[in-house]
Amino acid sequence: MNAPATTPEGLPKRSLPSLPLARSFVTVVISTLVLLIVCLLFVPSSLSGGALSGSLPFAAIIAIVGLGQLLVVQQGGFDLSLPGAVSLAVVISTHHPHQDNALLYQAVLIALAFAISAGIFNGVLVSIFRLNAIIATIGTNALLYGAVFAVSGGVPSITTTLLAEIAGGDTLGLPNSVWFALAATAVVSFVLKKTVVGRRFEAIGANPLAGRAAGLRVRLHQLMAYVYAQLLYCLAGILIAGITREPTAFQGDSLLLPSVAVVVLGGTSLLGGRGFPISTVIAAFFLNQLSQFALAVGVPYSAQTIIQALALGFGIGVYSIRWSVNLRKATETKNVEERK
Amino acid sequence: MNYASFGKGLAFAVTAAVMALGSSTLAKAEVPSWCGPKEASLALLDGYGGNSWRQVTAASGAQTASLCPSITKYEYVDGQGDTQKSISDIKATAAKGIDALVVFGDAGPAVLPAITQVYKSGKVIVPYRVIVGGKEGENYSTFVGTTFVDNGVAWGNWIKEQFPNGANLLYLSGPAGNSQGLEQLEGLKKVLGPEYKYLNPEPFDVTNWDPALTQKVLTAEIAKNDKIDVIVSDFGPSLVGALPLFQKSGRSIPALATSDGNSLGCLWHEVKDANPDFKLFTVATGTDNVRLAVQWAVALATDGKVPDTNVYVAPAFEDSATGKPNAVQCRKDLPGAIYLSSELPAEDQAKAVGQ
Repeated sequence: MNAPATTPEGLPKRSLPSLPLARSFVTVVISTLVLLIVCLLFVPSSLSGGALSGSLPFAAIIAIVGLGQLLVVQQGGFDLSLPGAVSLAVVISTHHPHQDNALLYQAVLIALAFAISAGIFNGVLVSIFRLNAIIATIGTNALLYGAVFAVSGGVPSITTTLLAEIAGGDTLGLPNSVWFALAATAVVSFVLKKTVVGRRFEAIGANPLAGRAAGLRVRLHQLMAYVYAQLLYCLAGILIAGITREPTAFQGDSLLLPSVAVVVLGGTSLLGGRGFPISTVIAAFFLNQLSQFALAVGVPYSAQTIIQALALGFGIGVYSIRWSVNLRKATETKNVEERK
Repeated sequence: MNYASFGKGLAFAVTAAVMALGSSTLAKAEVPSWCGPKEASLALLDGYGGNSWRQVTAASGAQTASLCPSITKYEYVDGQGDTQKSISDIKATAAKGIDALVVFGDAGPAVLPAITQVYKSGKVIVPYRVIVGGKEGENYSTFVGTTFVDNGVAWGNWIKEQFPNGANLLYLSGPAGNSQGLEQLEGLKKVLGPEYKYLNPEPFDVTNWDPALTQKVLTAEIAKNDKIDVIVSDFGPSLVGALPLFQKSGRSIPALATSDGNSLGCLWHEVKDANPDFKLFTVATGTDNVRLAVQWAVALATDGKVPDTNVYVAPAFEDSATGKPNAVQCRKDLPGAIYLSSELPAEDQAKAVGQ
């Protein structure tokens, strides 16, 4: 098993490890292009400027929560506290300022404080007390919803004009929320791929035991995954509060499933390990455009749901087929190595 | 001159004083006919209490009950959207000795067995607004419903006035297949002929009454349809975030037939000058439906005179074209999530929604 470093014949195959990135990226890009072509052929209106500027903010939101979920999934976890976290950020940033722009920064700080606390709470339960991630985060979700009701009583409040301008406005022709999503992607990608912390984080996700053997602080990294995720959910929540003029107190509910879907579409294994932030973000665009396509086709709701399910199945299917081909190649390499 | 004006003032003051006296004695004497002499306790059981509409409704119910001095005790119980809890709430409230129960049966027929059990034990029980199945006099004392078909008819008539030669309609409602949406469509179709074209997929665009989803749906519809003359929606306030999308694509917000909400009225005042086609017509959102149900329950429990009808008809509320019955209302100083069509004073509603 130690042989690969010295096998001359293994060398040409050595380029394989770089393939997974290409694979997931290429897959999601191809799926998206196919979808765009289908849109162009059947419902060009779904790609018009007005439609895009209206729907891109929602793609940005899915991208941001998807990045949060990605970080947790990379550590082999699952974060089901997302709906509560997003909803709490929404109600804090609308109810606390109560349409007073001057109080907005306070609201953002309070929302951040809640996000960090919830993240630490999740992280401690999962990484230190070793609770099952799904169960622990469901519990946290209930707590967060308790806070949502305490803040809002379940009642929507109108957003402040300042936040509406920041989150709902346009800069250089793109909705600001898209810029926020791009910035979040850049930060996550850079930290994950180019910094020591990020490399360790990913290594631990791939194999916590090996990480521990290498002397890495496994539990701390696992704990921090939940904190980073909460910070991203908080950002998404604040953006929703700005994009929707009068957001409900349950705005996070519809984001849980898409957040997991984009992580899977982006090619990250649910068992943890390597993460693909850029593919995840493209998958968010894909998913959003898909629902926009289904809406624009103008078929009954039942058919809309079926179209979405089929196209999602197609997206994942394309990925799975390539995956099995690669698996065969990989096992062949392994066999070659074992024969050595 | 001075004397004359003094005299006028005096006459005015005296009249005012007499009127004030008269009305105050009137107010004291005015026990409503549905309030009988027999003492009773009353509870309002909500299936789900977590939004402003429900909070205003609950406050309206309490206020109605307080008009009857024979009601010795009033309780409000929130089922929190949990069917199990709603069922046990109904049974527990009856077991505690409350005489009359008004039930918002969100879970539908699932709560009927509990309602029937309470009715059979000799209590007064009045389910309202959400159809729970069963029969009057067999499963419950009476059912106080509302006619969503009439909403559709009211919208249809208004649309006919605004666009006598036909129009392109976009009809939005809540979750897929909800009966309210279907009944309203029935009303619309009663009034509007084939010259009125529905742009949405049959039977309506699904929005779940969620402002974010409404925004997405409207985005797609705006892009797809160059000419939308009128939007019909059964929850006006959920459109508040979505309507400015028309301006973003360089078009005027079209005419809108919907239900009222403070935030919607305020939006209309804010953008009406920039959007010449934005005419607004609303029907009352129905937070007063509970009053009729409470009146029935109180009348039956206290031996009062039962109301003439057990169907609540939501009246028309605002019309920006004619100003009748009201011009578009907006209370900027109060929360957006209140309903100025409600009989409950706006300030009390603001208190009820906790802002």
